[in-house]
Amino acid sequence: MTLLGDGGAAAPAVARASIASVVDLKVHFRSKAGTVHAVDGVSFDIADGETLGLVGETGCGKSVTARSFLRLVPMPPGIQAGGSILFRPHRACDACLGDGCEICHHSGRVPVACRECNGDGCAACAGTGHLTLDLLTISEQQLRTIRGNRIAMIFQDPGKALNPALSIRDQLSEVFYEHRSGELLEAAGLDGEVTGAVGSLIRRKASLRSRLLEDALFAVPPLRSRRNKLRSATDDRIAAALAETQIPNPHKIMERYPHELSGGMRQRVMIAQALACNPDLLIADEPTTALDVTVQARILELVRELQQHHKTSVLYISHDLSLVRRVCDRVAVMYAGRIAEVAPTEEIFSHPKHPYTRGLLDAVPSASHERGRLVAIQGNVPELIDPPAACRFTGRCPYEAAACREHDPEPVPVGSDHHVACFIHHPPAGTAAELPSYHRQVR
Amino acid sequence: MVDVSAPAPTTMVADSAWRVRARRAGELTLSLLKNPTTVAGLVFIVLLLGMAVFAPIITEPNTPDPYQMPRDWDALAVPPGSPGHILGTTNVGGDVLYGVVWGARTSLRLSVIVVSLTVLIGVTVGSIAGFRGGKIDEILMRIVDVFLSIPELIFALAIAAVLGPSFRNIILALAVVFWVKYARIMRAQIIHVKENEYVDAARVIGDSSWRIYLKDVLPNSITPVIVQATLDMGNIVLVGATLSFIGLSEAGIAEWGVLVSEGQAGISAGRWWSSTFPGMMVFLWALGFNLFGDGLRDVLDPRTETSR
Amino acid sequence: MQIRDYIIRRLMVLPVLIIGVSIIVFALTRVGGTPIGVYLQTGMTQEEVAQLEERYRLNDPLPVQYVYWASGVLTGDLGWSGVAAAPVTEVFLPKLAATMELAVSSAIVAVVLGVALGTFAGARRNRLPDHITRIFSISGAAMPLFWFAILLLIVFWVNLGWFPIGRSTPEIFARIDHPTNLYTVDSLIAGDFGAFKDAIWHLILPALTLGYGATAIIARMMRSSLVEELQEDYVDAARAKGLPERLVLRRHARRNALIPTVTVIGLSFGFLLQGSVVAEIIFRWPGLGRWMADSVLRGDQATIMTYVLFTSILFLVVNLFVDVIYAYLDRRVVLGE
Repeated sequence: MTLLGDGGAAAPAVARASIASVVDLKVHFRSKAGTVHAVDGVSFDIADGETLGLVGETGCGKSVTARSFLRLVPMPPGIQAGGSILFRPHRACDACLGDGCEICHHSGRVPVACRECNGDGCAACAGTGHLTLDLLTISEQQLRTIRGNRIAMIFQDPGKALNPALSIRDQLSEVFYEHRSGELLEAAGLDGEVTGAVGSLIRRKASLRSRLLEDALFAVPPLRSRRNKLRSATDDRIAAALAETQIPNPHKIMERYPHELSGGMRQRVMIAQALACNPDLLIADEPTTALDVTVQARILELVRELQQHHKTSVLYISHDLSLVRRVCDRVAVMYAGRIAEVAPTEEIFSHPKHPYTRGLLDAVPSASHERGRLVAIQGNVPELIDPPAACRFTGRCPYEAAACREHDPEPVPVGSDHHVACFIHHPPAGTAAELPSYHRQVR
Repeated sequence: MVDVSAPAPTTMVADSAWRVRARRAGELTLSLLKNPTTVAGLVFIVLLLGMAVFAPIITEPNTPDPYQMPRDWDALAVPPGSPGHILGTTNVGGDVLYGVVWGARTSLRLSVIVVSLTVLIGVTVGSIAGFRGGKIDEILMRIVDVFLSIPELIFALAIAAVLGPSFRNIILALAVVFWVKYARIMRAQIIHVKENEYVDAARVIGDSSWRIYLKDVLPNSITPVIVQATLDMGNIVLVGATLSFIGLSEAGIAEWGVLVSEGQAGISAGRWWSSTFPGMMVFLWALGFNLFGDGLRDVLDPRTETSR
Repeated sequence: MQIRDYIIRRLMVLPVLIIGVSIIVFALTRVGGTPIGVYLQTGMTQEEVAQLEERYRLNDPLPVQYVYWASGVLTGDLGWSGVAAAPVTEVFLPKLAATMELAVSSAIVAVVLGVALGTFAGARRNRLPDHITRIFSISGAAMPLFWFAILLLIVFWVNLGWFPIGRSTPEIFARIDHPTNLYTVDSLIAGDFGAFKDAIWHLILPALTLGYGATAIIARMMRSSLVEELQEDYVDAARAKGLPERLVLRRHARRNALIPTVTVIGLSFGFLLQGSVVAEIIFRWPGLGRWMADSVLRGDQATIMTYVLFTSILFLVVNLFVDVIYAYLDRRVVLGE
C-alpha cells in the first residue's frame, strides 16, 4: 500500500533525500452517523527544497493532512487510525552558523545525523543516514521542539490566526523565546549568568517560563536592566524577521495589534513568524484564500521568493490550480481522502492521467475554452462515512466500469515520478470485471 | 380570483405546518431526554409538583385555612423522628413536614401567578414596542431600562415594604419587577423576526397586522420567552422565599422562607431541622427549573452552547 | 475614537436612568398614601400635624413634592431614619463601609475562584471536572442565599465553632481607631495584627456565602467563553509555534476568554448588593443591607428610598465602568473590521 514498496518499480523516494514522507496516513472522525474517513491512506514525499502542492476540493482531507504534520487535528473527535509522517529535521550549519555557504547549499541548514548509525545509513533512517522521526508518535516534548522551529505553518485567515489581544511583538517574541532563548541571551550579553538565582530567573524569562510574581521582580532595578537588554535583543530579531517579509517600519509595526493591520500585512506577519526560525518545512494552508486578489499575487510572490532564498521545503495546500501552477514544483491531487495523482507540475498540467485531475483542469476557465461555457465535474464529493472498497471517484467518473466499483485503485507509477491511482493505467490483478478506458465514455 | 384560490393553499400550509410542528416537538422531547442533567431537573420538578398537588393526601389539611401552619403546642421544637412529627417541629410547634409539603403548594401558586402575569405584561409591552416601533418603542424601552437599573431583589423588597407585609403583596411586587425581562426579550425577537421574508410575504398577500402578528410573528418569537419563563418558575420562588425570610409575608403561613426564618432563632441551640428542610426545598425547586430550563435552551436555541 | 464616542453616549444616558430610578423611588413612597406617618409622634394636635404637612410640603401637587425631595437629596438631605434614630446621612457612611468591606471581599473571592474554576473546566471540556463545575455553577444559581448562610452557620459556628458571627469582637474593635470604617484596613493602619486577624475571621463566612453565587455565575461564563476561544484558529497557531499547552491556555485562550467574562463580573456585582441584605441579617453584619431590612419591616421610608436609590446608582455606575472596560479590551468589537 505504501508508495515506497508495493509497486516494485517505484523509485525509492528517499534517494532524493526527502525532508518528509507521509506513509499511508489515516485520520478518521467520529460522528453521529458513523466514522468519517477524512484521510484514508494518503502517501507522498516532500523532497528537500521543493514546493509540493496539495490540491483538492473543500473537504477532501487536504487540510487535515497538513494539520497532521503538527498534530493539530483535535482528538477526539479525530482518530489517528494509522500510518506515519516521517520527518528528517535539520540544524544550523556549523560552517556558516546558518548564514548559508557551500557546505549547506546556501540553506544554512544541515541534516541531523541518524542516532542509530551515526550517518552511515541503517534501517531506522531508511538508509539516508539522517535522523528520521515519526511525527505521529514522538513525545509531546519533542514535538514542541519541532513545531514553529523545524516545521512552521501559515494559516488560511491571518485575521483569525493572530491573537487579537496580543501585540505583534508579543506574538513573534514567543517563537524566539520558545526556540532561540539561548541565542537571545547570548545576543543580550546575558549568557554569562548561567548560575545562581539571577541566572535561572533570566533563563526562565527568556523561555517564557516566568510566573506572574517573577515578572514583577523584573521591574525592579538590578533585574530591570537585564530585562531591557533581553527585550532589545528580541526586538532586533523580530524586526529582522518582519523586514524580511518586506514590512516597512518593523519597529513600529511590532507595537501594533492585529486588527490595526491590513489583511496582507497580517499575512506578512504570519509568514515572518513562520520563517523566524528558518524551518525545514513550511506548511501553507491556503495562505491567500482570505486575501484580496491584488494582495494575493504579492503574498504568493513573497512566499516563492523566501522559499528560494532559504531553500525551505513547502507544502502548499490549495484548491486553486492556477495558483499551484505558479508556485509548485510538484503537485499531488487529493480526492475524498485519497491521493489521486502525483506528478511534477508541468507533467500534470500537460498530461493529466486521472479522470478527476482531467475534470479539475477542464473546470478551470482558460483562454483556450469556448467563451461563456463553464465546465463542471458532475455530482458531489461522496460521503466519507464508512466508504466501501471501491474507487472513490465512482459515480462521478465519466469512464467508470465494473472494476472500479469492485476494487480500490492504488497509486502506481505511470512514468518517471508520475503516480496515478486509476485502473485505466493499471488494471487490478485477477479480475474479470470490465475495465475503464478513455475510449469508452459512460456519459 | 385571489379570493377563490386563497383558502385551499392556506389550509394545506396550515396542515403541513401542524405536522412539522408535531414532528419537531417529538424530536425536541427526545433530545431533551438525552441530557441527564435535564432529566434530573425534570425529576425534581415532577416530584415537587406531585407534592404540591397531593398535599392534602400527604398531610391532613389544617382547618380552616390549610395554608396556615398547624400548631402543636405540646411539641415545641421536637427533633426529627418524633412521633407525629417526622421532620420535627419549629420553636412555636409548627410541623416541619406540613410546612415542607404545603410550602410546595404555596410556591406553585406563587410561581404560576407571577409567571403568567409577567409573561402577559412583558409579551404585550415587548410586542407593542417591537411591532410598532418609533416613539412608542423608544418610550417603552426607556422605562424598561429604568426598571432594569434597580437590582431585582432590592426593588421587590422596596415595593413589598411599601405595600405592607403580606403574601399577596409579595406576588404583586414580584410581578412589577419581573415583567421587564420578557418585554426586552420579546421586543428583540420581534424586531429580528419582522425582518424575515415570510412576514413580507404575508403583508404582500394583504394580511392584517393583527393576523400577521398572531400567525407569523408571535409563534416565531416566543421560544426564548418560554425558556425564560421556565427559569423564572424557579427564580420567583427563590426571590419570593427570600422576601418571606426577611419578613414580608404574614407570619405563620406554610411557606418555605417563613419556615426558615422561624427556625433561624433555634440554630444556635442546635435545632437545625426547621431551617434546613424548608431551605432545601427552595433549593431543589430552583435547581429543578434551572436544570430543565438550561436543557430547554440548549435544545431550542442551538446557538447558545452551554454544555456540549 | 470610537471608544470615546461610546463612553460619551453611555454617560449621556446615565443621568436619564438615574432620574428615572428616582421617580420610581419617589412614586413608591407615595403608593401607600402620604408619608406623614413617619413624622407623627404621639400626642400631636391637629395643628401640629398640619404644620408638619406644611413643613414637608405634603399638600403640594406630586411633581412639586418630587422636586422638593430631589433637591433635598442633591443637597445631601436624605431625611430622618426612624430605625437608626438619626439623620440618614449621619449613619450612612459607616454602614456603607461595612457593606463594601463585605461586598468587595466577596467580589475578590468570586472573581479569583470563578475565573480559576471556569478555566479549569473549560480546558477539560466534557470531562469529569467540567461536569462537576457545571453542577457547582447551576447549584449556585439555584441556591437560596439565606439557606446556604444558615447551613454554614450550623456547621462552622454551632457545631465546629471555627468561625464567629457578627463583624468583630467588640473589645478588639474598640481598641483601634476607625478612620476609614473598613475594619481590615483600619486594623492594618493601626498596625494591630490581632485586630486584622479578627476582621478576617469574621469576614470569612459571610464573604463565602455572598461569593458563592457570584463565583458560580463567573465560572459558568468563563467556562463557556474559554470553550469558544479554544476553537479559534489563533489557538492552533500558538500550538504550531511550539508553545506548551499551559502557555497556549494562559497567554492566548484565557486572555481572550476573560473579555466577555468582564461583563458578567459587573452583573454579579448586582447579585452581591442584593445578597448583602440577606447575608447581613443572618451574620448580624452592621451594614446597609441589614439596615434596609430593618427599615423595610418598620416602614422607615427615608432609609428605603436612600438605599434603593444608592444601590441602583452604584449598580449603574459599576456596569458603565465594566462596559467601558469591555469595549476597551475587545478590540475586535469596537475597532475591528
